[in-house]
Amino acid sequence: MKIKAILALVAITLAGSAAAQVKPEEAIKFRQSGYGFMAWNMARIKMNVEGTYNKEEVIKAATAIQAIANSGMGALYLPGTDKGTGWEKTRAKPEIWTEKEKLGKAAMAFNKEANEMAKVAAAGDAAATKEQLGKLGGTCKGCHDDFKIKD
Amino acid sequence: MNSKRIFLWDLPTRLFHWSLVLSVTAALISGQVGGNFIEWHGKIGLFIIGLIVFRLVWGVLGSTYARFAQFFPTPTKVKAYLRGEWHGVGHNPLGAFSVFGLLGLLSFQMISGLFGNDDITFYGPLFDLVSKDLSNKLTSLHHLASNLIYLLIALHIGAIAFYAHVKKDNLVKPMITGWKESKDGESAKGGGLVALLLAIGIAGAAVYAASGAWLPPPPPPPPATETPNW
Repeated sequence: MKIKAILALVAITLAGSAAAQVKPEEAIKFRQSGYGFMAWNMARIKMNVEGTYNKEEVIKAATAIQAIANSGMGALYLPGTDKGTGWEKTRAKPEIWTEKEKLGKAAMAFNKEANEMAKVAAAGDAAATKEQLGKLGGTCKGCHDDFKIKD
Repeated sequence: MNSKRIFLWDLPTRLFHWSLVLSVTAALISGQVGGNFIEWHGKIGLFIIGLIVFRLVWGVLGSTYARFAQFFPTPTKVKAYLRGEWHGVGHNPLGAFSVFGLLGLLSFQMISGLFGNDDITFYGPLFDLVSKDLSNKLTSLHHLASNLIYLLIALHIGAIAFYAHVKKDNLVKPMITGWKESKDGESAKGGGLVALLLAIGIAGAAVYAASGAWLPPPPPPPPATETPNW
């Protein structure tokens, strides 16, 4: 038991230090890459619900979004990275570091809808996908409104 | 008091006004809610473009009190109004600022919205004509300007309440019925059927231009067989 506990502690420490080793500009790049990649997949789903519906395409896109949503991107918001440049100047607002509870709620809402999106995509109904895409988009807005610099 | 009735607001002006009230309300709500409503926000925006362009044309071709030249707030008129010496009918010189302010602000919202994007799934119908950077800037201004709309609406309603309670002048009734009790002024003239059809035609053309339906369609995707299976 003791050994297990120690191992767990070591693992947590290692994981913690591993996350801390990401350089600030890398962290910003990873963040921007995540959102950019999701944007592509959101657009793919939109194209499918507006044009001819290809179930496999939607599943691929929804799975990608779900994976990024569950990847723990919150770890990339290192202290001090409200300023800095990744692929471009960060658009993270300082409120991300001060209104943690509000941010957490918005992020969890997004997680929930991203997981739901993957389920809906697997079922393959175009109308339900369209509905869920709107819900998912609404949770993106939840963060954009308060935590993203617009210009 | 030899009060008489004059015909103040023609039917197209009244229909424009109340359609604008409803559609701006719907645009504000759908924009705030987002999600599935953002597509509606875009459609409502196109409808408002039609309304605004109609009103701009009607401000030239419409009947007497709908015309911009009739109520344009010249310094002389504004001074007279502030001294309490203005006895005109229709939009008073301060109200005229509100009219031009709202038309200008809404026009700006329409244009910025057409090129805007929400970084989620919504792209304005003319997004393809500008760079992403410019689209982001316009979107940012679109958000900022929406606060001004609330402010102007509050001023507008506040002024109506002030007229109703302090100056004992009901401004809402004439905007519904078209008629106003007034000892000054003559009934509105002009703005016939031809002018109306022309204004509607120009408004329709503006909506078509704004919808981006005339933009070349995106190139057809390459055949599916060329998509790798990874």
